[in-house]
Amino acid sequence: MKRRLMASIRAIAATAAVLSLVTTVTIGGQGRNFQPPAGGPDWTPPLNAYGDPDIEGRWTERSDITTYSIQAGLDDRDEHTQIGGQRPQLGEPIMTPDKKIPYLPWAATFADFLHEQHYGAWTGAYLDPVSRGLLEGLPRLHYQGAMEIYQFPDYISVSYAYGHAYRIIYTDGRPHPPSNVKLWMGDSRGHWEGDTFVSEVTNLNGQAWFDIVGSFSTDALTMVERWKFSGPERIDYEVTMTDPNAYREPWTMGMVLAKTEYEEMWPSEVWEGTVIADTDSLSIRPPQ
Amino acid sequence: MSKRFVGWTMASVFAVLLTAGQAAGQGTAAANIPRTADGTPDLSGIWQVMNTAAFDLEPHQAQEGVPAGLGVVEGNVIPYLPEALEQREMNRANRDTLDPETKCFLPGVPRITYMEYPFQIVHTSRNVQFLYEYVHAVRHIFMEGEHLPGRIDWFMGDSRGRWEGDTLVVDSVHFDPQTWFDRAGNFHSEDLHVVERYTMVTADRLDYQVTIEDPQVFSRPWNIRMPIYRRAEENMQLLEYECYAFDDVFHPTPGQAPPTIDQFREP
Repeated sequence: MKRRLMASIRAIAATAAVLSLVTTVTIGGQGRNFQPPAGGPDWTPPLNAYGDPDIEGRWTERSDITTYSIQAGLDDRDEHTQIGGQRPQLGEPIMTPDKKIPYLPWAATFADFLHEQHYGAWTGAYLDPVSRGLLEGLPRLHYQGAMEIYQFPDYISVSYAYGHAYRIIYTDGRPHPPSNVKLWMGDSRGHWEGDTFVSEVTNLNGQAWFDIVGSFSTDALTMVERWKFSGPERIDYEVTMTDPNAYREPWTMGMVLAKTEYEEMWPSEVWEGTVIADTDSLSIRPPQ
Repeated sequence: MSKRFVGWTMASVFAVLLTAGQAAGQGTAAANIPRTADGTPDLSGIWQVMNTAAFDLEPHQAQEGVPAGLGVVEGNVIPYLPEALEQREMNRANRDTLDPETKCFLPGVPRITYMEYPFQIVHTSRNVQFLYEYVHAVRHIFMEGEHLPGRIDWFMGDSRGRWEGDTLVVDSVHFDPQTWFDRAGNFHSEDLHVVERYTMVTADRLDYQVTIEDPQVFSRPWNIRMPIYRRAEENMQLLEYECYAFDDVFHPTPGQAPPTIDQFREP
């Protein structure tokens, strides 16, 4: 009975997803999934005063990625489609053949465990760190909300609209902090390769998740981001994850970022004081 | 709105003229400070206070874990209304549990400035961003536009900036009433109005003056003042201090230890 119910919910969700896509296409133009075109063969990026490609401004992800789950398929997103009538988002950012994270066997089992915890956790440590008021981390912030980029001779600053997160990507060649200094956002160093800004992220604490349902890494993770400035209002962003402790091989996520009009980035406190943690609604797993 | 913009533009032209005058040898210390392309002092960098204001804004002797301090309040005493003073004393007596900072709430303004953590100013072409290491707090100082219509409860307020000569003046309202000014129980209401003045005295030191106004709590506006110093270490950068507000809220079933990640790893 329950299985049949889930199957019909899945069917409804799939239908809604198709309808939503149709609607998007019908409306066309500058919808939330509108991807600005690449610049064409003759286009060259505008340069700033320091001679680097000028990517200052406000940017937003346009690849229909949901922070609920980055992995392929509706299985992971069943619950998402039932909460508050959310529009199903079907972006598949993982660039592997099956659109899934190539976990090592133990890590796949642990990822399944974290997914189960979503329905009733042993302890707060097994709930989404964002729901605990902690930093959302990379690259999840890029498909959570807008970002504001400013460029300086020695660094690039990125402010994220969600959860007042920020990062400074130094471009002056300074070394990373010692490897035992672990950070939620990691430590970023960048340089330009033609029209592509390449940033390398190390010192990650491996505590930030890639989505709500527990896609994870260990603290052996390093990331390489490639921000290809491919059109006047378009960045093709790819991030490659390497973590020999959790993944069979490095894997890459890709998404399109669109330049949008400047607007004031207002305070975006997540949980701090504005909501009392509702522990009653979080069931504690009974002994099994 | 556009008139206001013209006003700002005129103000910046004035600032540039003023700066040009100083650069031409009128002999102020501010002549040797870094400046942005439009002539305003370039506040970019990593900064930190060196005082005990986070413990108590007023003069105080040492207690266990609290260094003594001469205080940062002009006139030494915060001018509380009588009932508010009683509240402050109650706050102070119960500070270990009542201080909102111990609950991981954002510290508010100006407390975030004198927390014992560095902060970075990113002085952009459009706004002035304050990025704090402590709980990744952020303030964007908007240099255009007026305060939003209230009431809004924002921990870090709605901050609007303008230049008066070489001083960045930041006017902030719309505060959440839950924050305190220090660990000693000094507090405010939702009517808090904060005016901060950041003046670059040398390339490595800011003079920080703040006027605090809240007619529900204080009998008159009052001021604090302190220097803010540039962190001069080679390769200085912000790190992180996260506050784990909710991790003690969830308790596993008694007698049952939750599985750990190590139990999943292959031997």
